[in-house]
Amino acid sequence: MPQYTPGSSIIGKNRRKFMDKSQKLEKLRDISEEDIVRLLAHRAPGEEYKSIHPPIAEMEEPECAVREMVEPTEGAKAGDRIRYVQFTDSMQFAPTTPRIRPMMWYNRHRGIDVGVLSGRTIVEGRERDVEKITKEYMDNETYDTARTGLRGRSVHGHSLRLDPNGNMFDALRRWAYDEKSGNVKYVKDMVGGAMDKEITLGKPLSDDELRKRTTMFRNAQGGVWMEGEDPEVADVISEIHWNRTCGGFQPFTARDKIKGNKGVGVKGMKLYTPKGGVE
Amino acid sequence: MAKIADKVDLYDDRGNKLVGDVPITAISPLRNPAMKKICSLVTRSAAVNLAGLEMRIKTGAIAGKEMVIRGKTMNLDIVGKASAIASEMKDMLSVDGAAARVDPIMGGKRILVEVPPERILADYSAARVNTMAALTQAVMDVCNVDMWHADIVKGGVWGGYPQDPDMTGTVVATLVDVPIRNEGPGFALRNIPVNHIAATVRKRAMPGAALSMILEEAACYEMGDAIGPFERGHLLDLAYEGLNANNMLYTMVKENGKDGTVASVTYSLVEKAKADGVIKAKTKLGSGYTVYGTNDLQMWNAYASAGMLAAVMVNAAAMRAGQSVPSNVMYFNEMIEHETGLPGVDYGKAQGASVASAFFSHSIYGGGGPGVFHGNHIVTRHAKGQFIPCFCAAMCIDADTLYFTPARTSGLYGEVLGAIPEFAEPLKAVAEGAKKVM
Repeated sequence: MPQYTPGSSIIGKNRRKFMDKSQKLEKLRDISEEDIVRLLAHRAPGEEYKSIHPPIAEMEEPECAVREMVEPTEGAKAGDRIRYVQFTDSMQFAPTTPRIRPMMWYNRHRGIDVGVLSGRTIVEGRERDVEKITKEYMDNETYDTARTGLRGRSVHGHSLRLDPNGNMFDALRRWAYDEKSGNVKYVKDMVGGAMDKEITLGKPLSDDELRKRTTMFRNAQGGVWMEGEDPEVADVISEIHWNRTCGGFQPFTARDKIKGNKGVGVKGMKLYTPKGGVE
Repeated sequence: MAKIADKVDLYDDRGNKLVGDVPITAISPLRNPAMKKICSLVTRSAAVNLAGLEMRIKTGAIAGKEMVIRGKTMNLDIVGKASAIASEMKDMLSVDGAAARVDPIMGGKRILVEVPPERILADYSAARVNTMAALTQAVMDVCNVDMWHADIVKGGVWGGYPQDPDMTGTVVATLVDVPIRNEGPGFALRNIPVNHIAATVRKRAMPGAALSMILEEAACYEMGDAIGPFERGHLLDLAYEGLNANNMLYTMVKENGKDGTVASVTYSLVEKAKADGVIKAKTKLGSGYTVYGTNDLQMWNAYASAGMLAAVMVNAAAMRAGQSVPSNVMYFNEMIEHETGLPGVDYGKAQGASVASAFFSHSIYGGGGPGVFHGNHIVTRHAKGQFIPCFCAAMCIDADTLYFTPARTSGLYGEVLGAIPEFAEPLKAVAEGAKKVM
């Protein structure tokens, strides 16, 4: 049984929950498959999947042992195009983060290509596989309607202040907030294009609820302070650091035989920010 | 310095045992006859595009399509006289008893050249320039070209040389590039795009990774990276990742083939390392998390390298697409470090190289693609040896979803080199070679 990642705080537990595929992620909403297609804007609802090669079964594949041992995904079997979905996660306690999304997806899905660029995380894959992933991760607890964004371009906003209703900034104004109902709805698709209907995602979670669900250490605004409150995470990072450093120097020499001060920055580390951070 | 005492069993790409109890010193590129032949042929082989030469001389496009000199044209039946040209080249390139191989192929449109090792005294470029010089002379002789037209033939053969030492537009291709194209000393064997290798093994992932890794590791020897106590690490990496030692690579791919993910391969590898005693529990932390340690980082690195390639193979084959390598490398290493506290492949360098490789393979910086990647580039040259075979395996598996496919960039290399047994079946050739030096 894998142990996934260290940490005794709620952050460590949430991270392990997201990474552990035997744990079911809570479903918070149910967006229809047709609306997912609308939001992604790769094809029109009801339109057939385009393909870049014939179905695998009709192709003459090389006599490669790896191809014979590894089952292609549904999208690959059909020869679907490669398409993508991309999420932006706010630093204000979004449930998941670009740090965790790839490890979560690589535990739970196969045949994907995940990339992280500052505040957003993209996953590329065969079109129908991408649609499936999009639905799952817009429906479940990794997506908060105010602090998570479905953004193909102009993704910025993850590190900005929230609006008075707690919503993350979006330069393309893809979402709209209904003050009466408290619901967030998408009025434009993932890349900011027009849609033939608005898609209601639902109410955002409260700040308290987000702090319980987040996978982000944050020494501010009531977040968990990694160095002070969950030091084993930093200890493991330090362990990896010294193993890399000593291995990079002389992998044939035991770590304790390599001379020099290897405690720098670990025990008794001077922290310049007090609990709560500097606002 | 401690003697290298490790032994492995070598298996082929279908999990069949080829030879047992092989001392890893027998798979050193300095000792194994098959590896020596592969490296030697890579540096001595050239492919001549005779049809291209005829067309260039006919149209005046003497150094490629952008370098046209109108009026500097001739109608020469070069393809028709391929046999005579090849015969003259053979005479010129052979050294006493050591015959050059100069074979016209594809109805005379191409010539495959292997210059004898005696031609190379210090610089491997001798193979390319002597082939070009012999071709120039042979065409002039066979086609009766006079002094007033010799420059047209020379320009057609040599391209932009000498103004351009890169020889842009030349009709003579070699697997290794000219020395000024190398990132640094010892990089010659790393300067071969993975598509060439994928085409050579007819797009079979495990032989492709093996051939790619043989060349990468041979280059590590040439660049001084496998010296003294570092040699064991390179040989273990090569054995476990490249040569399917102890059938570990094959087993991991098979176990995870049906529904496995990058992460499930990662955890399979950790379990295997625990079971084999390569890593042991070191300390238990408050949450119950166990930090692992090892007495043999080089062996751990070899295990991790094999796991990394298996993870890439499983994910790329599920997607039947080659693009995911940098991301798979990144998160295989990230997850293995989080799982154990031990370092990722090449002590963090594979993970480091994967970040920039993701940019360069996803058209974020320019129009590259994983198929044209090689170890001779600022973003790929670390990690040394373990990284590039992953790209080669993925390009073998790719169902032509990418712009730079092996068929598009490397057809000629595949046809020519794929006919040589050591290139087509590197796992078998290396095992046979190992038997001779065990």
